[in-house]
Amino acid sequence: MSIAVVTDSTSDLPRDLAGKHGITVVALNVHIEDETFLDGETISADEMYRRLPDAKVIPTTSAPSAGKFIEVFEKLAKSHDEIIALHLSSKLSLTYQSAINAVDELGSNAPRIEVIDTQQASMAMGWSAVQVAEAIAGGSTLDEAVALAKSASKRSVFIGMVDTLEYLVRGGRIGKAQGFVGSLLRVRPILTVRDGEAHPLERARNRKKGIARLKEMVTEFAPLEKLAILYTTNPDDAREIARDVAGSAPDGEPIIAQLGPVVGNYLGPDMLGLGLIRAESS
Amino acid sequence: MQSSTTTEASTNAALLIKMIRAAVSSVEANRDTINALNVFPVPDGDTGTNMVLTLRSVIEDLPDHLTTPVPDITKAMARAALLGARGNSGLILSQFFKGLAEAVGDSSELSGRVFASALRIATKNSYRSVPNPVEGTMLTVYRECADEATKSVGLDNPLETVLANVAARSLDTVRRTPEMLPVLAEAEVVDSGGFGFAVMLDGALRALLGTDPAARVVRVPMPGGTKFSGSVKTDFVDASVEIDWGYCTVFAIQSDKIDLEKLRAHMDRIGRSPIVDGTDGIAKVHVHMEDPGKALSAGLEYGQISNIEIANMDQQAAGWAADRRNDSAAVRVRAGTRRVDPPDIAIVAVAAGDGLANLIVSAGLGVTSIVEGGDTMNPSVADLLAAVEAAPSGRVILLPNNKNVVAAAQQVPELTEKEVRVVPTRSVQTGVAALLAFNMEFSLDENVEAMTAVAGEVGEGRVCQASRDVTIYGHEIKNGMTFAIFDDEIVSVGRDPLHVLIKLIEGHSEDAEIITVYTGESVSPDQVAITTESLENKFEHLEIEVVYGGQPHYDYLVAVE
Repeated sequence: MSIAVVTDSTSDLPRDLAGKHGITVVALNVHIEDETFLDGETISADEMYRRLPDAKVIPTTSAPSAGKFIEVFEKLAKSHDEIIALHLSSKLSLTYQSAINAVDELGSNAPRIEVIDTQQASMAMGWSAVQVAEAIAGGSTLDEAVALAKSASKRSVFIGMVDTLEYLVRGGRIGKAQGFVGSLLRVRPILTVRDGEAHPLERARNRKKGIARLKEMVTEFAPLEKLAILYTTNPDDAREIARDVAGSAPDGEPIIAQLGPVVGNYLGPDMLGLGLIRAESS
Repeated sequence: MQSSTTTEASTNAALLIKMIRAAVSSVEANRDTINALNVFPVPDGDTGTNMVLTLRSVIEDLPDHLTTPVPDITKAMARAALLGARGNSGLILSQFFKGLAEAVGDSSELSGRVFASALRIATKNSYRSVPNPVEGTMLTVYRECADEATKSVGLDNPLETVLANVAARSLDTVRRTPEMLPVLAEAEVVDSGGFGFAVMLDGALRALLGTDPAARVVRVPMPGGTKFSGSVKTDFVDASVEIDWGYCTVFAIQSDKIDLEKLRAHMDRIGRSPIVDGTDGIAKVHVHMEDPGKALSAGLEYGQISNIEIANMDQQAAGWAADRRNDSAAVRVRAGTRRVDPPDIAIVAVAAGDGLANLIVSAGLGVTSIVEGGDTMNPSVADLLAAVEAAPSGRVILLPNNKNVVAAAQQVPELTEKEVRVVPTRSVQTGVAALLAFNMEFSLDENVEAMTAVAGEVGEGRVCQASRDVTIYGHEIKNGMTFAIFDDEIVSVGRDPLHVLIKLIEGHSEDAEIITVYTGESVSPDQVAITTESLENKFEHLEIEVVYGGQPHYDYLVAVE
């Protein structure tokens, strides 16, 4: 018996990591003016960030269609007995609903498919998919994988320090971080995803202090099972953070992941952050 | 002696109210001049303002209909004056209303005889209310007015003549105050409170005579017939920084039996310039204290305290202050509008100027309200308390944002059921930095700790212009020069505010990370743009943010983090 692991492109899973764990990544869509791109496939993150600040029309994103999911699930069914799919918070996207619709459409013709609303985004979700894939490789059943997906999602944390809340606001994903909007003083908001939506944590007085705070947060969340340092446009800053928090990283070295076009569309250039999973005991 | 027919009684009530209203308008019309004359006992430029506020409380509840008997009116005025008295001058002024109420007694008579009696009682009580009466002040003016009135009544003059004689005498006495009080001569002024009383008499007389308008600008009677230059204003913010005047603390004590003598002696022991007086179960205390809390605690030994006013006396910019004190008692609460649920913790912050208030509200996560106030207009304990009570949470963090408000803020926690913590921010720029450290995820204790830590790390700078020659922190600064103060030290002086600001920042370009510059109301939008560009060009490696603060007096406020 084999179980396929599916997630979506908002997991921001680096391609090699997804490949290594055999995780299928379904791309969301990015719409820039009249063009539609597949997240991370037909438009790269760098290209997205290059275009983002100058975009005359605000780029939008959309969930993969149920048809797309049907296609993916049918293809995986040929080589797998069961499927587990972990998706972006249903409060942020219709992706989860789309996958559910696909499962309904497939009905009894399909293998057993479990779709999980991780209530998370980016590598906080990506790591859950990785943990699930690891468990399955270690012999877990689908029920065990589902339990793990839920537990890992609860222990996963997304932290993002943004340069501006503008992108989150214009994309309609500001959520509970609304309180951070409108400051006449320049601050770097540090956000998290809580209960499936953007949630304000704190404000760093400048980028340097914000970076220091991100490093501190790593130690506050430790012990960790997984750690990724996230960035949109500044890999050097991400590497610096990774180097300084290496001691708290589960494997001695955190991975560095660039946010893909969809997540990046809402957090904007110059974002830095963390995607992690806390150890079960903590 | 006039007969007390009902018609005459109500005519007298109408006349009395008309005269009092005219007296108040007259003081209002001359307020800035009275403020400018104020050098004794503390040159805080607020005598006129204090008199106006005291008088406003007197007329606030005056009946509009004229059926109220005269004795009821005078008694109500006496009580209102005592409760509403602000500052030295306000308390001495309240003695006049107390004297008037006593002199009127239960009759509705309004005559030269009653007026003379009122002045005599006021004089006696005023001298008694201060432990060390000083001549050349309102006391002297009262005494000489009482003498004049008594003399005039003895000649069987009608009220019009008595009042005219007394009004003329009051101006003459005021003219001679510098002979009696050397500090007035040195400052080339006459006594401010005495002049204020003379101005009141002028208004009352004109109302009695039917002269229109009753309130007019009265020329200051200067020795030798010179003209008051209007220039002895302490209109320069830091002129008195080096002298610790302390806090002018005024409050009422309510109790059935208060030993006024004992209370007066007590206040004299613990503070300076005490004035203590009482009527019908209320004592009013005015005292200058380093620590206003001590005066309040002492007051509590005598009964319940109320009507607390704590004013910092390092007050500057007299004319400026006068403008802004029109509504100094008003607490304007500007609440954040975004939140629907009551927050766990609310914040109350003090700020002067719309720009700063907006900045604070914008950074306040929707839980922050503003108490108007600043350098020359310190909010009272009562103002702060009112804002704390109005805050939408039982847990409140209070940011005084001015070193002169810290002590008043620290009184608040004991006066409310709410859990109130003070983060002792000494300046508004520090307050903003502390506010940015506020975190809704944190507990009250954690927030206070984090905010206090940030507040301790902020360097505070100010750039302003000297409006006369002054010596400050050992530096002589000429009129018109701009200077910068950083953490209580003069760090640069020059002609051009921007240049002075750059010098201030240069001193910190090595150790600072973030510099926030708040532009004052005197800085035009064009200048703001120029300032921003100059600073960005000059200090490329620093993070400099220039924002509109709109604060009065200071061209720039600076926070160095």
